Amino acid sequence: MKRFIHHSELARDSRFVRQDNAQSTVLAQMPDDVETVVNIFDQFTPMIEESVRGTAAQALFDEYGPGFALMVLNEPLDPDSPISKTRLLLRMHGIFVGELQALEGAARSLWDFPDAPWEFKMNMARQCWDEGRHVQIFEKLLTHLGGEVGMFPESTFLFECACSEDPAMRVAGVNRGLEGLACDVFRDMIRYAEKTGDETMRQAVDYVLADEITHVRFGSEWVKAFTEGDPDHFKRTQDFRREVDKQFSFGGARSDRPDAAIPIAWEDRVEAGFSEEELRDLAELSVGGPSKKTLIEAARILRERHQARKAEQSKETGQ
Amino acid sequence: MSQRMYPGMSPDEKTTFAPYSAFDIPADLRELHGRYDVEATARRCRNFRYAEEWMMMILGGWVATIPEVPVKTGLGKIIWETAQAADELGRRLPELRCGRKAVEASEASNQAFADFIQALSDPEQPDLSIEKLAGIFDVLKPHLVEVYERTMRETDQISDAPTIEILDTIVRKTRRHIAWGQEVLDRLCDTDATRERRRKRIDLINAKLAECGGVTGTLESDRGSLH
Ligand SMILES: [Fe+2]
Ligand SMILES: [Fe+2]
Repeated sequence: MKRFIHHSELARDSRFVRQDNAQSTVLAQMPDDVETVVNIFDQFTPMIEESVRGTAAQALFDEYGPGFALMVLNEPLDPDSPISKTRLLLRMHGIFVGELQALEGAARSLWDFPDAPWEFKMNMARQCWDEGRHVQIFEKLLTHLGGEVGMFPESTFLFECACSEDPAMRVAGVNRGLEGLACDVFRDMIRYAEKTGDETMRQAVDYVLADEITHVRFGSEWVKAFTEGDPDHFKRTQDFRREVDKQFSFGGARSDRPDAAIPIAWEDRVEAGFSEEELRDLAELSVGGPSKKTLIEAARILRERHQARKAEQSKETGQ
Repeated sequence: MSQRMYPGMSPDEKTTFAPYSAFDIPADLRELHGRYDVEATARRCRNFRYAEEWMMMILGGWVATIPEVPVKTGLGKIIWETAQAADELGRRLPELRCGRKAVEASEASNQAFADFIQALSDPEQPDLSIEKLAGIFDVLKPHLVEVYERTMRETDQISDAPTIEILDTIVRKTRRHIAWGQEVLDRLCDTDATRERRRKRIDLINAKLAECGGVTGTLESDRGSLH
């Protein structure tokens, strides 16, 4: 068996649909400019349409056009909004595939780094069990909320970004970048479950969050151990983690902005070994990218254009 | 004369406490002496640890390339328990005069067993779940249970009891892994063609295992000693 696999090699059963990662890459780098954002989405329309066909996201595409993700990402989850259920399921499904890739990433670390210290292998092995349980938990929560596996396309952007071939970089990207993001997302899900009175979801996610804090701590400790005596290497791991953080801030949707859809889980992250300085840095870098105003305006234009195109098409087929 | 609480210096200055015999209550029928001395047990532990550590790493490599989700999640737990087995075996080594740093020592019994492990890890493609799982759950794990149980029976029951305790826990969990693997493989092999694939893989891996003499390299003489 070879070492290091490409994200396209993640094996899936027949329920799953893949999403092109090019889309996520571009979305992660959008500037704060309505016209540019609209143009980017326009350019990706065929790809987005193709990736949602036959999935539950098709309804969102039909309604909002290619910019539906902007609507989904930038509004906090609100149980009273009309498309709240679809959006909740979209997020749940995203978390489910994220857990799947976290399991695969931790497991691959055992094979990819055979000469790593034993304690590192023990930590990764433990993480395999935890992530395996998380996959089971979110599959059950997805069903609990009326969804199912494969209802939305899966982006393997997470695995692609974080699975570096350098063990220090990998734990920095996966365990500090992505697991840190998981802390933010899960803290937000707990708030949502409290609001809706969903005790099943609240308690399950509460346990998952406890596990994730442990995983971030693994990352905090191993980055230090792997880069000991090599400040240059340490700096590169920090830069890599910041890059991952930036890519997964979804243009400020996950940030410390007062209007953020997913706020930074400050206290949980401190417990997991993030320094105050790192957190201030995260708060700063995650607000970059387009403002909420820009994205909502872009989404409005994209929706208008989409509706106009649909009207045009139905006129043509009607004649 | 009042009762003596402590023995004095001469034979008539003994206490009057009746001896308590551990051999009487309850009867301890264990006899001293086993098949392995300290050095031999340490070597076995390193051999066992080698197998457990590599199994854990190989299963880790496969999680991403196996398409069946419940197999991925089930392996997550087995990876952790297999790692714990390797860890426990490693922690026994310093107790067997191998030095404090020996906790991470894994050692293949011979080059042929190392080659066997590499052969076990060969299958990569997502359509090879049967070949991947059959090698571990139909052959290697059952082989390890057999050798661990033999070791538990044949080692000194009192002097080497810590090794017995460690192996006892590992065997209990490994039996659960094997049962899980059987269930998964039975489900995956639901046609004549897939059953044939499983059988072929078992035969191949079994043959390789016999060739290298198993995890300790002494399969033949060990089996002989039973009869
Ligand atoms: Fe997780
Ligand atoms: Fe995690």
